[in-house]
Amino acid sequence: MKRVSVDIGGTFTDCFVVWGGRYIETKALTTHHNLAMGFNEALGKACKVLDLELEDILQQVDSVRYATTLGTNALIEHKGPKIGMLVTAGYEATVPLSRARGYGEGLDDMGKQDLPNAQRPDPLVEAHMIRGIRERLDFEGKLVMGLDEEDVRRQLRELVDRGAQIIVVALVNSVVNPAHEQRIEEIVLEEYPSHLLGAIPVILSHQVAGRKGEYVRATSAIVDGYLHSTMYHALSALEQNLRVHNYEKPMLVIHNSGGMAQLNSTDALQTIHSGPVSGIGASEHLSLQAELGNVVATDMGGTSYDIGIVVEGGIKHYDFNPVIDRWLVSVPMVHLVTLGAGGGSVAAYDRMYKTVKCGPESAGSDPGPACYDRGGMKPTVTDADLLLGYLDAENYAGGSIPLNPRRAKAAVEDALCDDLDVSVIEAAKLIREKVDANMANGLFTELRARGYDPKDFTMLAYGGNGPLHCCGIAQNLAIDKILAPPLSSVFSAVGAGNMHQLHIHEKSLYMVLYDSNTRRIFSDYERFNGIVAELKERGRQDLLRQGVPAEQIQHNLELDMRYGNQLVQTTAVIPIHELNSPSDVLQVINQFSTDYGKRFGEGSQAPEAGIRINTIRVSSYRQHETVQFQNIKPLPKPERSAPPAPSGHRTCHFVGHDEAFETPVWARKDLDPGVEIAGPAIVASEVTTFLVNPGWTLVAAKQGATWFLRNEAPVTKH
Amino acid sequence: MKDMTTGGPAPSAEDMKLIKKFLEDTTLFLGPDPEIMQNHDLMPRSADEEHAIANVPDTHTIAKIRDRLQAGCDEGYEMVEQMGAAPGAKWGDVITGIYSASGDLAIASAGGVLLFSSVVHHPIKFIVKNWMNEPTVGVRDGDGFIHNDSRYGNVHNTDQSMILPIFHEGRLVCWVASTVHEGENGAIEPGGMPSMAESPSDEGLKMSPFKVVENYQIKRDLLTFLQNSVREPKLQLEDMKVKLFACLRIKQRIEETLKTDGADALISTLRLTMEDVRAEVKRRVSEWPDMSVRTYIIQDSTLRENCVVKVNCTLTKKGDQLTFDFRGSSPEFTNRATNTILGGLKGMLSQLFLCYIWPDLPRGQAAMAPIEVITDPHSILNCSYDAPNSQSLMSIFTGFTAGQHAVAKFLYSCPEKFTKVHAPAFNMINTFIWGGVSQHGETLGNLCADLNGMGAGATSNRDGEHALAPIFATMADIGEQEVNEEDVPFLQLVSKKMTRDAIAPGKYRGGQGYTMMVATKDSEQWGFMTTAQGAKIPPIQGLFGGYACGTYPLSKVQGVDVYDVMLNEPEKFRHSIEEIMNEQPFEGARYTTHHMGMGFDISKRGELYMISQGAGAGYGDLLERDPVGVVKDIEEGLMSAEVAARLYKVVFDPATLAIDFEATEKARADERKARIARSVPYAEFVKGWNQPKPPAHLPYFGCWGDDVETLYMGSPDKTRRGDEPKPNYMVHPKDVRIAELEARLAAAGVPGDEKQ
Repeated sequence: MKRVSVDIGGTFTDCFVVWGGRYIETKALTTHHNLAMGFNEALGKACKVLDLELEDILQQVDSVRYATTLGTNALIEHKGPKIGMLVTAGYEATVPLSRARGYGEGLDDMGKQDLPNAQRPDPLVEAHMIRGIRERLDFEGKLVMGLDEEDVRRQLRELVDRGAQIIVVALVNSVVNPAHEQRIEEIVLEEYPSHLLGAIPVILSHQVAGRKGEYVRATSAIVDGYLHSTMYHALSALEQNLRVHNYEKPMLVIHNSGGMAQLNSTDALQTIHSGPVSGIGASEHLSLQAELGNVVATDMGGTSYDIGIVVEGGIKHYDFNPVIDRWLVSVPMVHLVTLGAGGGSVAAYDRMYKTVKCGPESAGSDPGPACYDRGGMKPTVTDADLLLGYLDAENYAGGSIPLNPRRAKAAVEDALCDDLDVSVIEAAKLIREKVDANMANGLFTELRARGYDPKDFTMLAYGGNGPLHCCGIAQNLAIDKILAPPLSSVFSAVGAGNMHQLHIHEKSLYMVLYDSNTRRIFSDYERFNGIVAELKERGRQDLLRQGVPAEQIQHNLELDMRYGNQLVQTTAVIPIHELNSPSDVLQVINQFSTDYGKRFGEGSQAPEAGIRINTIRVSSYRQHETVQFQNIKPLPKPERSAPPAPSGHRTCHFVGHDEAFETPVWARKDLDPGVEIAGPAIVASEVTTFLVNPGWTLVAAKQGATWFLRNEAPVTKH
Repeated sequence: MKDMTTGGPAPSAEDMKLIKKFLEDTTLFLGPDPEIMQNHDLMPRSADEEHAIANVPDTHTIAKIRDRLQAGCDEGYEMVEQMGAAPGAKWGDVITGIYSASGDLAIASAGGVLLFSSVVHHPIKFIVKNWMNEPTVGVRDGDGFIHNDSRYGNVHNTDQSMILPIFHEGRLVCWVASTVHEGENGAIEPGGMPSMAESPSDEGLKMSPFKVVENYQIKRDLLTFLQNSVREPKLQLEDMKVKLFACLRIKQRIEETLKTDGADALISTLRLTMEDVRAEVKRRVSEWPDMSVRTYIIQDSTLRENCVVKVNCTLTKKGDQLTFDFRGSSPEFTNRATNTILGGLKGMLSQLFLCYIWPDLPRGQAAMAPIEVITDPHSILNCSYDAPNSQSLMSIFTGFTAGQHAVAKFLYSCPEKFTKVHAPAFNMINTFIWGGVSQHGETLGNLCADLNGMGAGATSNRDGEHALAPIFATMADIGEQEVNEEDVPFLQLVSKKMTRDAIAPGKYRGGQGYTMMVATKDSEQWGFMTTAQGAKIPPIQGLFGGYACGTYPLSKVQGVDVYDVMLNEPEKFRHSIEEIMNEQPFEGARYTTHHMGMGFDISKRGELYMISQGAGAGYGDLLERDPVGVVKDIEEGLMSAEVAARLYKVVFDPATLAIDFEATEKARADERKARIARSVPYAEFVKGWNQPKPPAHLPYFGCWGDDVETLYMGSPDKTRRGDEPKPNYMVHPKDVRIAELEARLAAAGVPGDEKQ
């Protein structure tokens, strides 16, 4: 296999090239003004390794795939066109009011709880650019009030006069009957034909999101419209760059659904967070190949701790209403949780409880931890890690950031030692203990809320601080296996290299499988089967349009179901795609009951209150050949080898141990696969530090994979 | 002390003992226990707690355990929010928590309705006191207790709790409980908060705490009884299960802690957590200036009739003691539902501290524990057992606002602030409560989530946010109409459109409310009710020169099917109350306005009911408002040009909205001079303004002037002393109307026997 996959992040463009049996990881700085330059530089580095020209590589690869956080950055920086918006009259304030709770979306708990300080984010559409259109449909799509076309034309002209560069249309119940939205698009084209100057793109909400919910659908359409031109131009430039360098196949763009598609089959909204989602994709792939079973993927950086779940059996965890930046949207996105914990998390004295608190305040990278010597005065997790002896002050981040232990010491002393009446080392241990416990609690809640037990999981630990804290976090849980994955420095790009072409189509509806009033079981099979067939056909057409052979197209069916009038819609993966008899319906009901019971507890089901389907969702996909990892499983104990002599020793302190340890230090590059090192130990690489706590053993594996194995059966702390 | 029972001299200690034993042996039933219900402070340390703290005193260990337990509570909360069938569950009208063995709420879920923090412990204390050693009941592993009667705890009877004891090696170590605002409870009107209730007997289910779960199974006979007693048997079933399983999930987390750290660590953590928070509150209070602030809020109806009902508040801080003195507030209404139990008021004050003053404090009972609250007995803020309280929100919300208004003055003067100084938020549940048979044939009764869209008060440096949050919860949701319409047979024809000119002006204006216009479409058995005050007198006050909000009446259009109009004559339909009521575009229809206490009203297809959510209060002098902000408000439809010019003295071109800054400055300078010209010396003002008694033409309730000991009861001649309860009956509005008509008949010379 020959393939190029790229993750364009805010700082670095990561490149992963598979060339036959060779895997090349390279990086370059992201060039925001022209993404192609960063891409060419990163790929150029790979060319050097392979001793090939750029054109040679691009001509021979089966695909080039991009994941990017570009859209997220554009949202945060508030760079986008002036949007004009048409909504159903009477709903003009739906978007500005953001379901009331919009003030807190994307904020930490304190931001959500502090009402006097609550402030909604600056809008993507100004309130005066939202106009009500005289029309109305009911929940079944039946006409309540016809579309007043003159009203549309008048409002449209006003919006354009006020500078609208793009029109977003979000009408009530348009997902069940899109006729009015479609007619408005025609009117816009009539008024501003595409061949004339002043033509205006139109985004129709029902085309961006297929689920009910006029607010979330409207924000989805707005975000999509807001990013449309930025993403289109940036990605088109990338595609053009590929063409110039002899790449003739379609460029593939990673979606936050966990799949990918060609550029011309991609909404801007679908690209948001595709970088981190690719990391989850890589975890899934790794889990399958290395037979890891259930995996919780954790990425700990300087400011955040991302958690994703990959479980056996192919059940995907999606957020159907994820928050993007500060906006609640409606798009099926691979589930990711971000906690405010990282190396930059600030520690402070908790006056009330007479202990240490850590985060959510972060020193970020500027000024950064006190030991960065850039003016930061508050102690952080990284300061504690340095004081405890884990970090090499001279060679942190490959030597790019010299660390100043005196600053770290002073910060910890000033903020904590007097109040707590402890030494600097004891205070640093408390910081470390606190942040690890915070992450463990977040991780535990995340798994438990979905009905899983952490002890059944392998933890994947990546990101700059992941391997440094993973033992401490796992110690708080019952997890006894941690894998710092192979190719971890370009892990998201690796994930992009393993995606399949995928399109998800869904339909909101009111479908009662069991009516508890009449005690009747659903029997309108034609309706159900018709909708499934329609959704499959849409997915099929998407893939056919991209040249996928019909026989390679496969589908998965999921139903969002609920008991009675619940809010939650538990997703059931349904193996049968057609209903033709009561036993088929009961099979669906049983599947739902099983999934629900796993999540909320057996016996918590309430079928007596009725059972409904709220959404039918079909994923249509084409499987691609995947990158084959080498065998990265840890060798059995008898086959493991002793490490070479350590490159040095450092005095380290560990939570739960009063005495200090003279801890041996190795460079990761010096450890061959199969080498075993008992903790306490430190293994350093250019991008991270692998900290092996007492009671844990590190086992080096192929392709840079690194295992942490707990020596004894864990004691459950949760 | 005089004996209230006999009126004779107080008996000796020995006699008292005998009397006590006799009374205990002859208890008719175990009603609400004043000893429990009047106390919101922590129980004294038990011997078990002393022992546990001695064994596990380390603050860092306790912090670790607390964080884990907190995560467990949050997990339980999320389960309830996700699985719950009640709309209340979906917008976070929920609390899940861990209680000490004595019944104090130690650790609670971080989100949702925080007023529960101060009130959900009472029923557990009732169980501890009465059922633990009661051979016919008992408390055992696997048991679960249910409760909803607010006289035994919680806020109102729509809230149902599931309470589970947690045992470790046979020893009761703590309790877990989950409480949800369920809505429907079989009361005289659907939705669980009947404003028509004239006695507790009209208020539906009245569950004192009783055992409904054994061996972690809900008892089917009791479940059936409860389902049979309410309009939504499905809801009753679903949410009892939900609460039970949420508790079981928290229980798992506790058991894991017991396994790894032991019972003493758990008990010590729960106790010290509360004590630490309580101490911190005392410390923070001690930093406020020593002073008193007086304020009041007026309720303008009982939801049955217009009247003027005073909520009187003096907030005093001395040393580390903070005291809310609500004496002088209206007497309770013997047959009106707007009274509250004292716990409800305290709960809402707890909300004030946890959301608006010290949002960093952890959720639990301890934050409110050291704060004193004084009221008159049998007053609207501390009603008696026999008074209905299903609409207690009217009193606890206005009580809250009185507190919020007073506290702002302290915060302004306090150097250490934990959030912004702010004007009061809007405080009324301006929403539609609904019920009947849906288009799917289901019997439903509940309310629109729009109550969560209360406008925020302005702060010391910026305008209030529109429709931000209900005063009783954070991150509450006003929902999605497309989703709601699937379940209910009416449409919100106007769902979210800012209500023009319904503003609270100020240097920084309050966050504004929005219009809701509903009409039944697909059911012949459907109706609405509204339960709010503020149609005639604003229920909040402005701050430091800012204004209160406007007033928000209910408007109705009957004798029309607007769905016919929208389909066949769409040009006649208007999307604002202002246009419909002023232009009256539907011929032959009847256009009326009302106070916001509409009893359950069966609606016909296509008849319009229209209300507006309210605005938070303004902050600072209007004349200091940036003219650019004024014009922006006009542009965004918040205010008409006429009102803007009149209030703010801003001069602009009405067509282009271009501001003439110079002319504005002059207009404002003129207005300042005019203000001075209108003013009179204080003594003169007092002489002209003050009256010795409330006016006879207004039904006025509460103290008048500085004399807080005399409470007026609807007329200048009818009073009671604050500490001497008297019945306070209101005449049925229909009887009032009949009397009026009879008087007219009599005046017209119609003989009495013809009235029949």
